[in-house]
Amino acid sequence: MALNCSNNSRFLSGFGVRVFPQPGKLEFDFARLIMFLRWLEATILDFGDEMHKVYMWIWSSGDLGLRLLWHILHLILSTWYFIIGLMGSVESFLISSGLFKRYRDLDISKVQYLAVAIDSDEALQTLKVLELLRWLEAIGLRKVCLYDTAGVLKKSKEALTLLLKNERMSSETASDPLVEEKCLSLEVISFSDGKQAVAKAADVLLKKHYLSSNTEKPKLTESDMTDALGAIGYREPDPDLMLIYGPARCHMGFPAWRIRYTEILHMGPLKSMKIGALIKAIHRYTMVHQNYGT
Amino acid sequence: MGSSIIKSSCGTGGAYEELPEGLEKELMPKHVAVIMDGNRRWAKSRGLPVQLGHIAGRRAMKQLTRNCKKFGVQVLTVFAFSTENWIRPKEEVNFLMNLFEEVIRSDMEELIQNDVRVSVVGNVGGLRPSLQSLISSSSERSKDNKGMDMVTALNYSGRHDITEATKQIARKVKDGVLGSVEDIDETLIEKHLQTNVIEESSYRNPDLLIRTSGELRLSNFMLWQSAYTELIFVDKLFPDFNEGDLVEALTLFQKRQRRYGGHKY
Repeated sequence: MALNCSNNSRFLSGFGVRVFPQPGKLEFDFARLIMFLRWLEATILDFGDEMHKVYMWIWSSGDLGLRLLWHILHLILSTWYFIIGLMGSVESFLISSGLFKRYRDLDISKVQYLAVAIDSDEALQTLKVLELLRWLEAIGLRKVCLYDTAGVLKKSKEALTLLLKNERMSSETASDPLVEEKCLSLEVISFSDGKQAVAKAADVLLKKHYLSSNTEKPKLTESDMTDALGAIGYREPDPDLMLIYGPARCHMGFPAWRIRYTEILHMGPLKSMKIGALIKAIHRYTMVHQNYGT
Repeated sequence: MGSSIIKSSCGTGGAYEELPEGLEKELMPKHVAVIMDGNRRWAKSRGLPVQLGHIAGRRAMKQLTRNCKKFGVQVLTVFAFSTENWIRPKEEVNFLMNLFEEVIRSDMEELIQNDVRVSVVGNVGGLRPSLQSLISSSSERSKDNKGMDMVTALNYSGRHDITEATKQIARKVKDGVLGSVEDIDETLIEKHLQTNVIEESSYRNPDLLIRTSGELRLSNFMLWQSAYTELIFVDKLFPDFNEGDLVEALTLFQKRQRRYGGHKY
């Protein structure tokens, strides 16, 4: 998502793996390598339509030599994709294993409230969503807001909560008196909790501040809107960080009022999610300094 | 070398502009919004006073506007000053207000002569009277222009935009222009947002939002309008954001449009 991943010259100069030998430990910087591979992948995908036309032409030509060449090319590309996937998995494993000191010492207290926006089609993968919640809980997050436009996650909320609870009860921590405090608090919202909620809050403000008074000009403030949203049940805090899972790099209509200063990271498709990428994203947020206008 | 040929938007007839390679006219975002972040860091990294960073940012904004017009973008919205920026040092704020006046007098004037419709969104009433006057004058003189819409967000806050829309609706209900309070829905709020200065209603929400300087947030900019906006965060500081960077951002946007068919939520 960061634009620097598409700049050829910067990529080529940064390509490679740095090794810093420490007693008993090795640290690999896969970041630039992964970014370069993703750029190459995107470039190859762009030739998709053209390649399909070439394939149809080769097939209809009947030339065995060309067909063999095509299959060799296909094999090379498949190997390439395999390598890309393997690199990502290795990186994720190394991060989640705690081999990288900077990810091991994650200061999770900086993420008071995390939002996860998921494409509605991808939100149907309930088991994937459950796995994501497990990871978030394992990392130490306590308050998470799940969002999808169509409300698919609202329908899955009960199942997700129950499954998480069952897993907790059957685990070794079940006897821990503090186990409830360590549980994930889940808010699940959809598009209707965004713009429609603001419209309802506007109704509340009209009735409370304006229609019942003699004031000529309404003196409504942002605080009034926040209070009105609270009055109709929207009291949850603004997320510090939002992770977006899906094809689009947009927040998909997440409640506009709540994302003033929210850090937004696009994580890619839900089916390709990796715990290493999740830890990296959270780590990145903990290193950010917000100016708030200064 | 392939390139797309498009007819010049200046309406001179017969003149053609070439799009950079990889860009397609049909997939060009209609509305591009830019958070012009990084002027001060640019200056500090060079050991310069922050004022020079803002001057460099002005040059980059001028170039950005020209390039967007050249590429056929219909609306360009730039985030120049936030309601939160008032807490900056008084000297810097005064410099910025003077700079904005200078920009309106010269850069905006040039745009108006080139058929660009200029407007300002934000709490204009909170700006100094001389700046308010210049804004009003430039908007009035360009209101009949048919070229690109250039919108500058000055003293703007996304939350304030939504609150002001609510106030306007309240006024209309009080005056009997609107019916009962049950008439309020998100469509009505949308019709009262400040981005309604953009004449073409289908262009009011940005298709693409670019933020420079590596920060990954909206910072209270177009919160309502950006629900379905493609977000691209660029590491470069705004004064360094050039035509090549804009082309890269547009290319990324168009690649997604080709791959996912401009899926809207």
